[in-house]
Amino acid sequence: STGDSWGIFTFLCAALCNLPALPALNCSEELGAGQSIQQTYDLTRYLEHQLRTLAGTYLNYLGPPFNEPDFNPPRLARVERVPSATVDLDLWRGLTDNARLAANYRAYSRLLCYLRVLDGQVGTAELRHRLAHFCASLQGLVLSIGGVMSSLGYPLPTGPAGPPAPPGAPVAPNDFLKKMDDFWLLKELQTWLWRSAKDFNRLKKKVPPAVVTLRLEARGF
Amino acid sequence: DSHIQYERVGADVTMKCGSMDWDAAVTWTANGTDIDESHLNGSYLILKNVDLSQSGQYSCYEGSSWHLKYQTYLRVGTPPKEPVLMCRSNNYPKGFYCSWHLPTPTYIPNSFNISVIHGTKDMVCEKDAIPKNRCHIRYIQLFSTVKYKVTLTVTNALGKNFTTLTFDEFAIVKPDPPESVVAKPVPNNPRRLEVSWQNPSSWPDPESFPLKFFLRYRPLILDQWQHVELSDGTSHTITDAYAGKEYIIQVAAKDNDIGTWSDWSVAVHATPWTEEPKHLTTEAQITETTSASTSSFMAPPTTKICDKGAVVGSGAVAVCWTAGLVVAAYSVLFI
Repeated sequence: STGDSWGIFTFLCAALCNLPALPALNCSEELGAGQSIQQTYDLTRYLEHQLRTLAGTYLNYLGPPFNEPDFNPPRLARVERVPSATVDLDLWRGLTDNARLAANYRAYSRLLCYLRVLDGQVGTAELRHRLAHFCASLQGLVLSIGGVMSSLGYPLPTGPAGPPAPPGAPVAPNDFLKKMDDFWLLKELQTWLWRSAKDFNRLKKKVPPAVVTLRLEARGF
Repeated sequence: DSHIQYERVGADVTMKCGSMDWDAAVTWTANGTDIDESHLNGSYLILKNVDLSQSGQYSCYEGSSWHLKYQTYLRVGTPPKEPVLMCRSNNYPKGFYCSWHLPTPTYIPNSFNISVIHGTKDMVCEKDAIPKNRCHIRYIQLFSTVKYKVTLTVTNALGKNFTTLTFDEFAIVKPDPPESVVAKPVPNNPRRLEVSWQNPSSWPDPESFPLKFFLRYRPLILDQWQHVELSDGTSHTITDAYAGKEYIIQVAAKDNDIGTWSDWSVAVHATPWTEEPKHLTTEAQITETTSASTSSFMAPPTTKICDKGAVVGSGAVAVCWTAGLVVAAYSVLFI
């Protein structure tokens, strides 16, 4: 029944998504905020590049029409589970550093969670391998963002990394809608990576120089 | 009774003389010139397989009284072919513009209608006064996953046609070329050229949306370009120019992360500094002495990486610091 599959889904997410919070604290001492912003930026570019190959393979696995280049489906009015990068322009401009970082942190934590569930379901070995590799890199990104936040003195966002959908809302009731969910997941992930590059560009300019100098001296330059 | 009549190239046109009977005696003129009776069928004017040159004013006069019975302006043209549409964001993240044209002229007036759909929302593309055939849209939301669908319909009296473009927000980002490209020789350096430029003025926010640049240069006498990609800064020193050869230099820009490269900038020409031969007039000698004395106060050239606010990244910083130490040591020796 759909109730059972929802329960399993929630459990899977909860089990797989409790990782990001802890290790970030240990990594942060090593890195100056300035350097880790640059590294995080570089990671988003690397992931965006990786995603292109992964998405191509995955969409081929889903088959037509998902792998057609001009496939442009309407957004179905289902519960928005996957976090969206879309934001009002002025709102985005006005985000504080903390809010900006937190939005990225939350988004990737949840996206990672959904991707891990995906990983458990796909058929081919090649796809599992690619997904696993991508998830590992994405995990690195989450940790990196956590590191930046800690070094700037911001608390890591708390709360469940799993889906916030109300209980009882079913997982996609049929195969096609499930594939649509996967399609949008990849789309949102791609858009987030493009957005993050811009987010981290803005952060690069705004990191207080004092923090950078301190860290460099500590490294013996 | 006067009106306009549109007909296709190659069509057969029959013009009636208003309400006159078929067997009435009439005279037709084309732009004031009488038309030969062989083109008449009764009082009807028959034009077969019309071409563009037959556009003009056709008048019909009653045989004996020379009363003007009918007048029409014939315009020969074609229905529109599929229009060419292009959309581009040269001012990201403010918005984008679309511009269009017809691949072949129709020779008659055309009207254009453009519609932009974003997901389920209709957006208004505001027409520009100049240039014509262009409209612009402001983004309300940024980082959208939903594609934009732009449909352009062109209509004229003989038919209509349309074309559609569907794209992601990121795919159409293409800045204008860099502006004010300047290339100068570097005194006392026969193999160097200093190139500087500015961000295109249409790019609204280079702070948050930095541009990277691509520089290409070659001596006029060669066909092969040399390329340098620069992720930071709006200047670069070419250090491997052939002495005494005139160079042509161009720069292109791209958003650091998304979209495509701009077109190449206007080309600039420059020749590296060459030493003046000693046997020239005193004027040249004075110039030489002046430049020689100023050069001793010039700092030794440093790698460009360090000149424009150091990129905060371990690799670049390491180079910057090393170069800095070298310069520091060098200048200490000279105190």
